[in-house]
Amino acid sequence: MSSNAAAHSRLTRTRREFVRDAFCGFGSLALASILRPQDLRAAGINPLSERPPHLPAKAKAVIFLFMAGGPSHLETFDPKPLLNQLHGQARPKEFGEAKYQFVKTGAKLLGCKRTFARHGQSGLEISDLFPHLATCADHLAVIRSCYGDMVVHSAAQYELFTGRIVPGYPSMGSWLTYGLGSESESLPAYVVMPDPKGALEAGQPMYANGFLPAVFQPTMFRPGERPVLNLELPAGVTLAQRRRTLRLINELNRANSTPADEEFNARLNAYDLAFKMQTESPKLFDLSKEPAETMQLYGIGQQPTHDYGRRCLLARKLVENGVRFVCVVAGGGPGNLQWDAHNDIEENHLRKAAETDRPMAGLLLDLHRRGLLDSTLVLWGGEFGRSPEAESGKGRDHHNLGFTMWMAGGGIKGGQVVGATDAIGLRAIENPVHFRDLHTTILHQLGLDQTRLTYPHLGRNERLTFVEGKVIDQIV
Amino acid sequence: MRPPDRSLNLGLSGQPGPVTLCAQPMNRHDFVGFGVSRHSAGWRSAFCRVLALGIALVHGLARAAADPTSASPPPASTNATEARQFWSFQPVRRPALPQSPPGGALTHNPIDAFVLARLEEKGLDPSPPASKGELIRRLCFDLIGLPPAPEDIRAFLDDASAGAYERLVDRLLNRPEFGERWAQHWLDVVRYAETEGFEYDRHLPEAWRYRDYVIQAFNEDKPFDRFLTEQLAGDELTPETQEQLTAAIFHRLGPVRRNAGNPEIALSRNEVLTERTDVIGAAFLGLTVGCARCHDHKFDPISQKDYYRLQAYFAASQENDILLVSADEKKDWEAKSKAAQGELRRLRQAADRAEGEERTQLNNQIEALESKMPSYPATIPSIHNDTDQRTAIHVLHRGQWEKKGEPVAMRPPSVLVDESLPELPMDLARPRTELARWLTDPRHPLTARVIVNRLWQHHFGVGLVKTPNDFGHNGDRPSHPELLDWLAAELVRNGWHLKPLHRLMVCSAIYQQSSQPAGAAVMAAAGRIDPENRLLWRFQQRRLSAEEIRDTMLAVCGRLNPRRGGPSVMVPVDSELVQLLYKPAQWEVSRNPGDYDRRSIYLIAKRNLRLPFMETFDQPPLLTSCGRRESSTHAPQALEMLNGQLSNALATAFAQRLERESGGDLGALIERAYALALGRSPTSAEHRLAATFLQEQPLREFALALFNLNAFLYVQ
Repeated sequence: MSSNAAAHSRLTRTRREFVRDAFCGFGSLALASILRPQDLRAAGINPLSERPPHLPAKAKAVIFLFMAGGPSHLETFDPKPLLNQLHGQARPKEFGEAKYQFVKTGAKLLGCKRTFARHGQSGLEISDLFPHLATCADHLAVIRSCYGDMVVHSAAQYELFTGRIVPGYPSMGSWLTYGLGSESESLPAYVVMPDPKGALEAGQPMYANGFLPAVFQPTMFRPGERPVLNLELPAGVTLAQRRRTLRLINELNRANSTPADEEFNARLNAYDLAFKMQTESPKLFDLSKEPAETMQLYGIGQQPTHDYGRRCLLARKLVENGVRFVCVVAGGGPGNLQWDAHNDIEENHLRKAAETDRPMAGLLLDLHRRGLLDSTLVLWGGEFGRSPEAESGKGRDHHNLGFTMWMAGGGIKGGQVVGATDAIGLRAIENPVHFRDLHTTILHQLGLDQTRLTYPHLGRNERLTFVEGKVIDQIV
Repeated sequence: MRPPDRSLNLGLSGQPGPVTLCAQPMNRHDFVGFGVSRHSAGWRSAFCRVLALGIALVHGLARAAADPTSASPPPASTNATEARQFWSFQPVRRPALPQSPPGGALTHNPIDAFVLARLEEKGLDPSPPASKGELIRRLCFDLIGLPPAPEDIRAFLDDASAGAYERLVDRLLNRPEFGERWAQHWLDVVRYAETEGFEYDRHLPEAWRYRDYVIQAFNEDKPFDRFLTEQLAGDELTPETQEQLTAAIFHRLGPVRRNAGNPEIALSRNEVLTERTDVIGAAFLGLTVGCARCHDHKFDPISQKDYYRLQAYFAASQENDILLVSADEKKDWEAKSKAAQGELRRLRQAADRAEGEERTQLNNQIEALESKMPSYPATIPSIHNDTDQRTAIHVLHRGQWEKKGEPVAMRPPSVLVDESLPELPMDLARPRTELARWLTDPRHPLTARVIVNRLWQHHFGVGLVKTPNDFGHNGDRPSHPELLDWLAAELVRNGWHLKPLHRLMVCSAIYQQSSQPAGAAVMAAAGRIDPENRLLWRFQQRRLSAEEIRDTMLAVCGRLNPRRGGPSVMVPVDSELVQLLYKPAQWEVSRNPGDYDRRSIYLIAKRNLRLPFMETFDQPPLLTSCGRRESSTHAPQALEMLNGQLSNALATAFAQRLERESGGDLGALIERAYALALGRSPTSAEHRLAATFLQEQPLREFALALFNLNAFLYVQ
């Protein structure tokens, strides 16, 4: 770096002068917004401060409606009349081989009991599991040709979130936060709302920051009115008292003879932000003041939609206030409380769809009428689909060779279908879309170039998409 | 990769001359938008942005590689002879000490000669010596990971005799806490965890034996060549001892995917072999050999064939759980477990045939029975070679197990051996011993360099090579190549003992310099020439690690439980956190509450449930080798320290201790608080601020404030 030594010194010296002169000692900046309300946000000392995208962006935020356990494409968005005709027979040889987790070779095909109809101006085919979502058909780009590499939950979930089939790599939420920062100072940048019924196979590492710095980790929301850990003051401590304690911290830090340096200033600023989060964000988490019409729209206060509705509404409010990535998980705990319908596809999917249909539709409509859908990319889907073959008579096994996900908003062209599976829904045969292509498309909509969003790890510049993905041109 | 020189003229008007930023950017587009044109609130606003960016860069936020499109690293040489010329593949040559150390500067040992020579070249001076108070605090955190007790500080300050510092160093190196502190660094490298990760996150209830092995090895200064050999091949060494078998748990530390249903034996085997091979590269070779699994390494002269030849050393290695109980106990356990297993098998078969509700019920019964299985007898989860189950090793196209190419057998990477060296026969009785022998050959160019660099990194904040797991083309070049070689040669010369190297490093004058140069002008000048402090013109301050912060709060409030070794502790955690586990029953809180106050290294390392406190302060994710931790700074850390259960509970305990020990005298209380928490007396200004605060506010809040001070969280 010697070639720019002279110029660099100018920066170094001026920076110090600036710090000293402009703020009479940088220490005073730390709790500035507590002591003085005017905005002295120190020009982004917060490591999450917003950063410009590589390319012009269409979307600013992502909401991932994660259907954990793997919803069936055959019962939802990918009708297969031939499958009903072949019900009870072995899979004809011409469809080729498939490996399942449980179903053995030679299992019998299982017909679908759902009925499909065309919806919206686009005439998109959606099954009767989703009557509310069907009213949003023209927003949806239904990708029928998704595929992944793994047929077991944990590894498939890692691949869906991080692009790798092993844990330890950053999830898409962490990548986006790393690439773009956050628009909000008082809210976490990346939020996961797990299903309160329980956890998923891949566990926390699926959502985590992997080798990216801890600042890009997800905030896991807890169920109930106080979703964020450590935002509450400890029992018996008043806000006034805590304000005084913060002032003491600030004063003692300044009284220390060690000259101000960037690291210390950043830490002081972190305390400032923490206090802001603590005082401002609880208001946002409070849904009690939402209009009745909104509650109705999301199905809040009614069963079985109350829980998922609450979380979808919270997701809208978070995105509206600058949160970058929100994952709203549907399904958790034992398999049958997820979309993991090994035993009875009808029972499971009727129940799961009833819990999520109205909230999802409510979310899309709400985003749309608030003008947020254009800048918010909504992604729906699970870690895989389900097998054309029956498991345990009425159930379906995991299936990664061809299944459906959909996207809406965020500049995605809705009202269309991408790709196709074969006539029994076994394999993506037309325009196959791998998880990495989904990732690439999401990054593209947010103005990020997959080859430039990198971080050095184990000797190379790692990226979300691992090997390169393709943008799904048809829908962007 | 060597940081490319990058600069961006921001062309800010109103400044005396252009302001140029020189940095290693995350990518070029980080800079777009920082100019005045987009943020046109005048130069001050623009300057804020520059300032912010500078800070962001300092903070490792943008510690990323340069834009690959414009600064591609040198391609790996195809010419074998040329490839061997790369610095880290060259033999270590013990260099002569630099001639006549520059006049005036203090040199305590050869390290100083090397460092001062480089400083002099650049016209830089080291900083003045740190104060004795700073030194004892620095040394204690560095060597034992705990703060010095006030009495120890007093004794050290009062000891004006020659050699007082060196005696302190020796005392600390001999403390049992030394191993506890330094073992954590190694556990990071080998991605130590006690559970297998993935869906089941199955516990290896006896994996802690490996953690204790590492602590003990560091405490007794086991020679590094021996340490390496035992981990790689402990089970092959004869006669086998429990200690050696324990060392070989090393091979069981990687994440393991197990799944129900149709087995994918070949794929699973491939995943296990991949884990076992890649960690050798990261931990011992300092090479990213894992990159060559799918294709020839893009940056280093390691071919795909080299990769699979390395994997071949593990071809026969299989899990081997060794029971440590008597034959009778084992028989008893087997009988009980056999009965239970039989019942389990029956239920599982029934569940496979059942449907719907019946199947759910059977599954519940299975789970209930599983949780009541007789507890496993003491075991070492080791490995052994099972020649009947030896995996045939092939070069795999794109790393996919089903795409088998040319068969290969074991041999070290070509660039590091004589090219005519034939592959070893696959029926070799002790393949991993052979691998260890190659790695610990005194002429091996990497092993010694890699380990002495790790030591240096933890003492000085940054390694001589900044990328401790990557000594390849994409890694950093050494800041002091001769010093690195001298240290590596010294290690081999002294029989691979690490403690003498620790001693050399911390006894150097360079280590004992202040983190603050003699005045702002000196600081500015040095910052201009060497902004990253690679040349060590001052001591690099550092934030305490997650473990150190927790352990220090425990020590300061007087609650640290010094019990050493044994099974890991599961502390009570928020129930909502446990519910995030796929099998919440796995979190069995330890029965004895005294255990919750043990050092952090004794808390369980569970892949799917990390303590939020640890996570927030940059504990690595326990899944991939971590040679160097991040040190990030962000608001959730402040929330954790201000509102978190741990810091508040310990602040309460600290307040109680202060009350107890100060006899009701406010002045004495403030004195004691500073002595315990910060290892020094308060200045009069600090004393005044504290006294004013305590007139109105609870002592507990004062105690919490001390935990949150920079002077508490950082070592100077």
